[in-house]
Amino acid sequence: MIVLGSTSEVAQAFVEKALQEGEKYEKIYLFTSSKETTERFARHLDVKFLQQAEVIDLDLMKEIDYTKFDHINSNVLFCAVGYMGDGTEEGLYDHRNTERIIDINYAKLIPLMNYFAQKFESRRSGTIIGLSSVAGDRGRQSNFIYGSAKAAFTAYLSGLRNYLFDKKVHVITIKPGFMETKMTEGLPLNPALTAKPKQAAAGIYNAYRKQKNVAYVLPVWGIIMMIIRNIPEFIFKKLKL
Amino acid sequence: MKPNFIQKVTNWGNFPIVEKEMKSEDSFKKIKEFVLNHNEVIARGNGRCYGDASLGEHIFSTKKLNKFISFDRLNGIIECESGVLLSEVLEIAVPQGYFLYVTPGTKLVTVGGAIASDVHGKNHHSEGCFSEYVIEFKLMTENGEIITCSRESNADKFWATMGGMGLTGIILTAKFKLKNIESAYIRQESIKAENLDEIFRLFEESESWTYTVAWIDCLQKGKDIGRSILMRGEHAFQHELPQSMTKNPLRLKKKFQLVVPFYFPGFILNALTVKIFNFLYYKKQTKREVKDFIDYETFFYPLDLVHDWNKIYGKSGFIQYQMVIPKKSGKEGMKKILEAIANSGNGSFLAVLKLFGKDNQEAYNSFPIEGYTLALDFKVNSKLKKLVDQLDAIVQEFGGRVYLTKDSMSKSSLTNYLKNVQSSKFVSLQHKRIINNK
Repeated sequence: MIVLGSTSEVAQAFVEKALQEGEKYEKIYLFTSSKETTERFARHLDVKFLQQAEVIDLDLMKEIDYTKFDHINSNVLFCAVGYMGDGTEEGLYDHRNTERIIDINYAKLIPLMNYFAQKFESRRSGTIIGLSSVAGDRGRQSNFIYGSAKAAFTAYLSGLRNYLFDKKVHVITIKPGFMETKMTEGLPLNPALTAKPKQAAAGIYNAYRKQKNVAYVLPVWGIIMMIIRNIPEFIFKKLKL
Repeated sequence: MKPNFIQKVTNWGNFPIVEKEMKSEDSFKKIKEFVLNHNEVIARGNGRCYGDASLGEHIFSTKKLNKFISFDRLNGIIECESGVLLSEVLEIAVPQGYFLYVTPGTKLVTVGGAIASDVHGKNHHSEGCFSEYVIEFKLMTENGEIITCSRESNADKFWATMGGMGLTGIILTAKFKLKNIESAYIRQESIKAENLDEIFRLFEESESWTYTVAWIDCLQKGKDIGRSILMRGEHAFQHELPQSMTKNPLRLKKKFQLVVPFYFPGFILNALTVKIFNFLYYKKQTKREVKDFIDYETFFYPLDLVHDWNKIYGKSGFIQYQMVIPKKSGKEGMKKILEAIANSGNGSFLAVLKLFGKDNQEAYNSFPIEGYTLALDFKVNSKLKKLVDQLDAIVQEFGGRVYLTKDSMSKSSLTNYLKNVQSSKFVSLQHKRIINNK
């Protein structure tokens, strides 16, 4: 399994869930921008599941040397890369913040995704799971830079799914909704709408087993977003969402 | 939305509830920043202590320190980060033929919490406290430095931290020993006792058993005072097991988990319902003595099967009052305690009696001393403080003490066995309360 964004609690919980379910991997490749904590996760996998894992340093904001990834082959790719940035008014007009959000969630991420997608395509097998966001379903004033990058990522996954369909590679788009993770720590979230990482991982694993196309982590988000998508624009623009 | 780390925090008893900053980190560098940037910090594990022990101005939650570091499968030595739950240790250990030497009545406490409380179990008389099996741990001190504490190095910090309620620093990782088991089952005997004399006799007769504990009906009066059921157990050997358990002796089937979905309305738990529960519980066992084999989860952690059972006590919450009375006056003291509870009508849904063995002199912050210990749950209501004062007076009279992990309203003189933990950095609301109550 290839994991992009390995410090993500959902990614880690997903890896553990898959191993608990008895999935076997020759090796798990953990891509991360935080080597210290990811190395601890790799050791954890070894202790708990006797599973070999390799930590690969990756900073999307720097030039990527793809030749270092030549040896990496797998039939599952899990992408949990995400950066929420600062969604406030100051954040909106801070160009560094804006660039970083767009680069990490989309611009710099897609070439890397394509690199692995090509490997999957040539092997004619595998599953690519991408964590997008409900924020990409409709731009809202509270975080539309992040939302627009995730909307682009959602569109990319949708196109990729279409493109790889007859090449026997499956692509799953996950739209998590609120999750209790580092990204949302300290935010006042409604517990009924918020998934814990383990709960999210179980939901994603289920979507993986059933080879779903698009899945919300908590079903309630499917309903919420359907409503939000269908509010007429002349009303929507006046709402404080 | 800007993060605001101020939130409502409360421990298992849902009393008290505070609004304080709570944050968690998994990077040691960031934990150091957190420690250095705040005046008063206290670590919190899974929030399973009952009162205000892990509440403070700035709470550091260890829940992201949840990784295993190593497992020596040959010698049964495991190392993990402090936020790993005992249940997670068991998940790995049991199938390999290992078990925790010492476990409290819930497996949902963290390893760090088990050290900070120096937890005891049903085997205190035979195997002591958790600290006996800890080889070393890493502690973040006031200046953000990480030190390794063991019996040999930083021994003063090692012992002060055992039962030190988190006041010596933030425990980051711990290495400890596990015991060998042949099966995930317990050979159990349950024996009914009609009164206090009988249960005390049974405890003394059962001293050679590894695990002993008694459930006690604390609403009985007069000649029935101390009516109880003693449970004693041993890890079952494979050859002892009945046929049905021999196929996979180290693996348990997944159990159905009951969930308490919301806080029960206040009136549900009252003197009458507690009385009925206790009556049924005692009568459920029809024979005087029952011998059987049960899985370790049922034996050690019956309450873990009911998720969020603390909500049964309603929104006002509950306290657990656990005290120990030295052995020589144990029976007399317990009688007075039980009389006071029965007379108050403030029944305890769950009352557990145990005999502690000799204490470890080195682990001076640990709660257990040789004697009888009783743990009682009480719903918080207007009459409770008066009852606690009464019970405190009896415990004081007999030279006993109260368990800090469970404490939320006791007299400071009963919890003042805590030593060598003065720090201006690591401060809990409990410690402030105890000091100010002098």
